[in-house]
Amino acid sequence: MARVVVDPVTRIEGHLRVEVEVTNGKVSDAWVSGTLWRGMEKVLVNRAPEDAFWVSQRICGVCPISHSHASAQSCEDALGIKIPNNARIIRNLIEAAQYLHSHILWFYTLAALDYVNPVNALNADIADTYALAQAAGTRIADFGAVAARLKAFVENGQLSIFTGHEGWFGVGAEKHPGYVLPPELDLIATAHYLEALELQAVAAEIIGIMGGKFPHQMTSIPGGTAFVPTEQKLDDVLFRFTRVKEFIDTALIPDTLAIAPYILDAASFGGGCGNFLSWGVFEAEDLDPYNRYLPRGFVEVSKGLTAQEVGPDDVTEDVDHSWYDVPSGLNPKDGQTVPKFEPYSTQGKYSWGKAARCKGVPAEVGPLSRMLVAYVNGRPEVKSIIDDTLAKLSKAAGAQLQPTVLVSLLGRVAARNLEAKVVADWSIAWVLELIEALKGGDSSFFVTERADSGQGAGLWEAPRGSVGHWMTVEGGKIANYQVVAPTTWDIAPRDSKGVPGPMEQALIGTPVVDSERPLEVMRVAHSFDP
Amino acid sequence: MAQEAHGALHDLLAVRGVTRRDFLKYCGSVAAMLGLSETMAPQIAAALEGAPKLMPALWLNGGSCTGCTESIAQVDTPDVATIVLDYLSFEYFETIMAAAGSWAEKNITKRAEEGGYILVYEGSVMTGQDGNTLFVGGGPENEGAKKGIEILEEAAANAAAVLAIGSCAVDGGWIAGYPNASEATGVAAWLQKKGIKTPVVSMPTCPVNPEWVVAMVVQLLLVADRDPAKFLQVTPMVEVPYNDPVTGEKVTLLMPKAIYGQTIHDNCPRRGHFENGEFVTELGSKEEAMGYCLYKVGCKGPQTFTQCPVTRWNRRASWCVESGAPCIGCGGLNWVDNNSPFLKRMSDMRIGDTFVQPGTIGAAVGAVAAAGLVLHGIGMKAAGRIGDGPPMEEMKAYDRKRLAKKGGDK
Ligand code: SF4
Ligand code: SF4
Repeated sequence: MARVVVDPVTRIEGHLRVEVEVTNGKVSDAWVSGTLWRGMEKVLVNRAPEDAFWVSQRICGVCPISHSHASAQSCEDALGIKIPNNARIIRNLIEAAQYLHSHILWFYTLAALDYVNPVNALNADIADTYALAQAAGTRIADFGAVAARLKAFVENGQLSIFTGHEGWFGVGAEKHPGYVLPPELDLIATAHYLEALELQAVAAEIIGIMGGKFPHQMTSIPGGTAFVPTEQKLDDVLFRFTRVKEFIDTALIPDTLAIAPYILDAASFGGGCGNFLSWGVFEAEDLDPYNRYLPRGFVEVSKGLTAQEVGPDDVTEDVDHSWYDVPSGLNPKDGQTVPKFEPYSTQGKYSWGKAARCKGVPAEVGPLSRMLVAYVNGRPEVKSIIDDTLAKLSKAAGAQLQPTVLVSLLGRVAARNLEAKVVADWSIAWVLELIEALKGGDSSFFVTERADSGQGAGLWEAPRGSVGHWMTVEGGKIANYQVVAPTTWDIAPRDSKGVPGPMEQALIGTPVVDSERPLEVMRVAHSFDP
Repeated sequence: MAQEAHGALHDLLAVRGVTRRDFLKYCGSVAAMLGLSETMAPQIAAALEGAPKLMPALWLNGGSCTGCTESIAQVDTPDVATIVLDYLSFEYFETIMAAAGSWAEKNITKRAEEGGYILVYEGSVMTGQDGNTLFVGGGPENEGAKKGIEILEEAAANAAAVLAIGSCAVDGGWIAGYPNASEATGVAAWLQKKGIKTPVVSMPTCPVNPEWVVAMVVQLLLVADRDPAKFLQVTPMVEVPYNDPVTGEKVTLLMPKAIYGQTIHDNCPRRGHFENGEFVTELGSKEEAMGYCLYKVGCKGPQTFTQCPVTRWNRRASWCVESGAPCIGCGGLNWVDNNSPFLKRMSDMRIGDTFVQPGTIGAAVGAVAAAGLVLHGIGMKAAGRIGDGPPMEEMKAYDRKRLAKKGGDK
């Protein structure tokens, strides 16, 4: 038995610490800790309810759009505001742009280095690389130029950021055994890593156009949107969505399918708690959360692949292992925030994150949850892409894979990229929907009338998972504000009953080949996009 | 361990497929950002071409949302801009580096010992709960973990210069909004309190605008030959006095004048409508479709000193006011307290524990601001052109309460 610690977990948003116990080459216990506390909820109290839209999105610089939308919805729910149809579509578009931005960034910039070894890419044969790219049906790049650029980086020492001074990837006998891709595939993925830097920015430009800037947008103000599109701006948006969709079709999806056969063992661990929550995202015309493009629902795999209804009252937060001096088991609408640090102890308190629970059990949130909920609801676009992918992977694995195989590290990685494809297709349709609505003469974007007191919740989905904002307004001022962020769900510590959180459970059973460089632990942690 | 750049600039350009023409064009836009004439472009290009070495750099995240890192990824003409950024050899950058845990932490310590690097700091300095609101790098049972403030001190002490990017790093940003329960503060105030003399350049807005960071890197590495003393000499700065409530320090924040020397209102394309008294009074309305001025729905452009309308955001795609939203003044100091409620215009501002109306703020923020406000806000009101619209708030409710309670919590 040995303790292995990764702190900081790099390539994520914010600060995360993972401590695991390794027994016989496998993780036997795990403690996941959020090591930063800022106090957003306290800053919002006593301010104008609309102001939370601008301030609360600054919880996360990678998914600010979803926080801004959840905040606006909590305000609209509390004060009885129904947003105009144009605002609904524009918010969907801004949200979609963030999904595409975030998923591309996650796969190539944050997660890829867990699988792709850019140092090894220098050994690639350029002709073979072209042949492999063609066979995999993935995007051709100037692979020779990329190899030259990489070489220049290595020679002038700038790759040290990727390798660490003493070599995270390692060379020769020190080469990390966890990096198993052939050098040609490493080179393809590195080329797409560089292209992805451009494409994530193109997706963010869409938010810039409709939301003023990214990160931290300006226009989805409670009541609707401040953005009134012109023909020119709509053209600019459509053009960019088309470019991003093309990259997803020609790089992200084929790359996922090309890498998967090399990491099929990732289908056998990393599954975690098996409970999946989605609040639902991308509003349909009727504004019904169960009818959202990716619908609301809760799936407990142990009870079968069916979705239960779920709502704001099903959430509680425990603090037995978190640094707060408040009661456990409160619903966020009555939630309290009183920080109180004491020495870190895996037996006692060890995280700034509260233990969020849904219907009393830990719940995983994120693309895998959304795709599972949509799948069991029979959303046609989701069902067909999952069935299709399972068929392809079954061929590679030489065995018939069932949908439950998705409850694994491999499933969590694949679900995110498949979701990117589904959302990219929808985004184009939504631009056309907006154009039709405007042509039809609908010129309403914002409603000003609102009550001055009330209580409400905005339950929505960020690219990385379920986000909930709870707001109580009294006499035009915020009386209480609570946020349950995606990361709160996934990196939750143990609860009052001692049950570990979703990431902790997913880590248990994960193999650790080299305890000095616990790559598999990083893979599981990153698969949540924490 | 200085590293030689093997490829001269033209090799780098060739590898990236960037033409010399594109490169000069880019240098021209950097020149403009630095407040120089675009005819300086060849000189900047020459400086870049002559630069023999890379400069090591560390990028640290304090109490941040990672939004500033995200923002840097949105830099314009990345093929060219990254050439500039490649002159910085980042040896620690949590959000992109492959290594993790102690593998990553080693890089900070090693570089801090060797010196001769730039520190880029994103996020607030987290001093609350005795500094335990942020800690990193502990072993089993968190043995040997360092507080965020200790890592900052270690990394800053030996740095050539610190770029404090984004409002959080400048003065604590939104995290320092009342009641600042995590006792967040800015880099300059904290280093001054600790007697660390490394020069700090403060670059507010939430997040930082990436183009401005590139411009400062060009300035420091190339125009100033990587010499921080020369950098301060050749870069005109506005000196902004700031009383930091957390540390009790009176600091002078240095902000590049080319970027933080004029108000948004001075350069706003909607300014003509302001002068004509043509205002948006309802968000998303037909007045917005006509691009009228957002002053009456709370625009903080007249009191906020940044180049947002000129540089714009997301590779020039747009910016706040162009998208139809009033500026919320995220480039100002103590921006959440000073500018909320955001949809009300010209609420009073808080400087430290004193509350002032915008008209009297000149002494603290710069006489230009006051003159601008008097001339364009209050002056116009007197002339009767402003008319109705949301009321001016005399004092915000939570401030009133706080004053009455003398610093107590809600
Ligand atoms: S008040 Fe705002 S929108 Fe109006 S001219 Fe000034 S900066 Fe522009
Ligand atoms: S325009 Fe105003 S709100 Fe927008 S980024 Fe600039 S300072 Fe911040």
